[in-house]
Amino acid sequence: MLFFDLLVQGLLQGGIYALIAIGLTLVYGLLRILHVAHAGLYTLGGYIAILITNATGSFTLGITVSMVSVGFMGMVIYRLIYQPILEKPPFVALIASIGLFIAMEEIYRIVFGAYGITFADAPLQGTLNIAGIYLRHCEIGALLLAALLITSLSLFTRYSRIGIAWRATVTDPGMSQSFGVDVIKVRYLNFFIGSAMAAGAGSMVAVMNNLVEPTMGSVPSYKALAIIVLGGLGNVRGTVIAALIIGVAEAFGTIYLGNILDRDSIAFALLILVLMVKPTGLFSKG
Amino acid sequence: MQYEISLLTIMGISIIAALSLNLIVGFCGQISLGHAAFLGVGAYTSAMLTKAGVPFTAAVAASMLMAGIIGTVVGFTSLRVREDFLAITTMGVGFLFLGIVRKQDFLGGEMGIAMIPDPGLGKVGYLVLVLLLAATLALFSIYLKRSWMGFTFDAVADDEDTANLVGIDVSSYKLIAFAMGTAFAGLAGALYAHNIKFIDPESFGFVESITILSMVVIGGTGSVWGVTIAAGVLSIFPMWFQFIDDYKLLVYGGLLCMIMLFSPDGLSGIFGRFLNTIRGKNFNASGQ
Amino acid sequence: MSKGLLFLALTSTFAVTATAAETIKIGINVPLTGFAASDGTSALNGAKLATEQVNSAGGINGKQLELVVYDDQASPKQSVPIATKLIEKDKVTVGISCSYSGATRAAAGIYQSAEVPYISAYAIHPDITRAGNYTFRTSFVGEVQGRAGAKLAGKILKKKRAVLITLNNDFGKSLVTGFREKAESYDVTIVNEYPYSIKDRQFGPIVAKVKADNPDVIYATGYFFTAGPLVSQLRAAGVKATIIGQEGFDTQTFIKIAGSASEGVIITTSLDRDSNSQESQEFIAQYEKMFNHKTDMVAASGHTAVKVAADAIKRAGSTDRSAVRDAIAKTDLTASTGTISFNSLGEVIKNVQVQIVKDGQFRHYAVISDPELLAPPVD
Repeated sequence: MLFFDLLVQGLLQGGIYALIAIGLTLVYGLLRILHVAHAGLYTLGGYIAILITNATGSFTLGITVSMVSVGFMGMVIYRLIYQPILEKPPFVALIASIGLFIAMEEIYRIVFGAYGITFADAPLQGTLNIAGIYLRHCEIGALLLAALLITSLSLFTRYSRIGIAWRATVTDPGMSQSFGVDVIKVRYLNFFIGSAMAAGAGSMVAVMNNLVEPTMGSVPSYKALAIIVLGGLGNVRGTVIAALIIGVAEAFGTIYLGNILDRDSIAFALLILVLMVKPTGLFSKG
Repeated sequence: MQYEISLLTIMGISIIAALSLNLIVGFCGQISLGHAAFLGVGAYTSAMLTKAGVPFTAAVAASMLMAGIIGTVVGFTSLRVREDFLAITTMGVGFLFLGIVRKQDFLGGEMGIAMIPDPGLGKVGYLVLVLLLAATLALFSIYLKRSWMGFTFDAVADDEDTANLVGIDVSSYKLIAFAMGTAFAGLAGALYAHNIKFIDPESFGFVESITILSMVVIGGTGSVWGVTIAAGVLSIFPMWFQFIDDYKLLVYGGLLCMIMLFSPDGLSGIFGRFLNTIRGKNFNASGQ
Repeated sequence: MSKGLLFLALTSTFAVTATAAETIKIGINVPLTGFAASDGTSALNGAKLATEQVNSAGGINGKQLELVVYDDQASPKQSVPIATKLIEKDKVTVGISCSYSGATRAAAGIYQSAEVPYISAYAIHPDITRAGNYTFRTSFVGEVQGRAGAKLAGKILKKKRAVLITLNNDFGKSLVTGFREKAESYDVTIVNEYPYSIKDRQFGPIVAKVKADNPDVIYATGYFFTAGPLVSQLRAAGVKATIIGQEGFDTQTFIKIAGSASEGVIITTSLDRDSNSQESQEFIAQYEKMFNHKTDMVAASGHTAVKVAADAIKRAGSTDRSAVRDAIAKTDLTASTGTISFNSLGEVIKNVQVQIVKDGQFRHYAVISDPELLAPPVD
């Protein structure tokens, strides 16, 4: 019983991680940039969800607006920050992204206050009892959302023209360009989808915690990096699996290893172990 | 004068930390996102030893040794993984180190270690020591850069595979870079511990690693004087900007971002271009 | 040359006239940016309110009180030069830390060597007062509050099986040390302990395990941003055990986050919302008016620290730092957080207030005033 309870909790956390990490691995796969500021978009997603929901009373509207607007924000970040420095050595983009992330956290603090914001009337707080495991509606919602978005992404890249063009561009930009694929459009799409998914995660977490704070993204900022490396940089399927593994490892680890390692270390210990055996991560790019 | 002395001491220690990372990142091209952990190793080693009665000099030497040894072990990981993987592995090492230290009561755990003994040099004496060590490290770095080892580092940083082909034992050089860089980081950590006289795991976290890395990058990776200046300025950046207290972190983040966008080779790049512009003008003016 | 001399003469005249309208300066290091910003903002607000109150009542010995504030981002690396600056450049009479333990402990050493009084508003690291006779603390040492928590759990609430959910930092750890110390003497068995990080907001695994443990009381340590989600998730999972918190929970934002789940949560703290004390009531009301935000424990701590400093300076009759230190040591003041007096180490001796969340507000529940139990350390 406890085992299943912990397992479900782990998968839930893993699902959230997956939604965030996918955007990160998409960007890396396409541009080889470690987009740390991505976590800032996750936080922004949470803020917008609460603000819109409090203003209109509808969480559905809140999360939708959040995902769309943050998707656009992601595209803006690409255009303003990353596009100018694509030719530079990799640490340039990394430091710029870190600087941007710090700035974003500060802007949230200055604009929305250091205490964070809450829902006026938090939605989806009811609980469901499934075989002795209590899950709140928002937690079930998060699981469903993660499953929905990840499946949609998978179908999209496999069966739609744009999706296929996108995959091709990630695999070989030069070749796909010669086939007439607009590489720039693909990049924008890439950032839009990744950022929107992060916003979705942020919105669900906002409901789960009934709190969005400026520093909400600080843990995902580095943890998502560990996840995408574990999954194999650039490999979406690998990232999802890695996210779930880390989620479950943390769930069991915090209970049983709590006196030896703290939570973050569990993810990284796992990562280092795997990398020593398989230096390119669980799955390689592709 | 006390205030100025305390600021200069902090500057000196930060310069040592940044120059030590410069050896790894700047000279040998290996990205390390967990450097603060090695400062931590040095700090904790020195703190524990001096509290147990070991004299200051011996404790500091031991800190450097400890940090260097652990650094070499981590250096081995750099042999397995490359570039971006390495960056994140080093980040992981940083977190792992802290995660373990947090849980060990004999290392102070969450409470940290307080009442670290004073080395007995007085404030001015300590400052002189720190500045001397910083200057020594700077000179050493410059010497290294111009030596055959420096050239080898350059080759490894530029293109590992080719360096291998040419017969350079890339692995050994990477390890040497890590060993040196982390040993000096240990030195910086020990000096920090005896300066602030209180250490806790939080002081050596990911944020700290990023701060040191940004000093190296803003100075211009590889450039000794660039990194020195950047470290000196950025380390007391919060104190400069007390008047815009509320916005200083925002300014810092924005600055990092802007510098990367407009001058990724940092201060040394800016200065280099500036020199070229002057030379260019002189060139034309003399008509040659 | 003569122009220069004239300029010099003029500016020094201004300097002289400026010092005539002198203020009494209190230095404050506080985290206004970074992860501790929310607590820092509260504590500083409390301090500002206290300053406002002192000044509108005529100041101290005829002079106005002035706060010199620097943001230390809760970092020891910054609090040390800030301390030096406050002492040397700003020439403060007293220093107050509105920051976390690391920063406070580091700065305490500076204040002690410079022989300037330093008051820790809410940082709980035991070594802070061990820095020397110039350091004081107006809030509970973690262990003391923890012991009170044990008495609350065992004697007052008559619970038998406790689970500890511990915030993994000095605050949480020292509270738990105190709780463990006294648990047995009040017949409380500690079934399990689960540490968590200050960054955690999802407690699913811990909640699941606690449910399996089935305790009748949970001693949870944390701040509002961890306690809110924790309590909410515990109740949603069907955990019915009584939850005991501490002053970290003591803010309206905790109730806002946890919503109906916060009903019935009991906390040990220093602020009694139903207090008959004029000090407390005035503080609560004026804080809300001045900052448009309900008050909390951290704000009350900042407020108390400034009041203690101001009172001591008044009694000392001068800004001589050594005289002020002696005056602080003899403090016997009714402040928003209770009656303040110090023991030989500089630790505060006061009662523990117990509050319960009822109808979305903190209300009086009990008072623990066992002097032996609550005796802070003397060295």
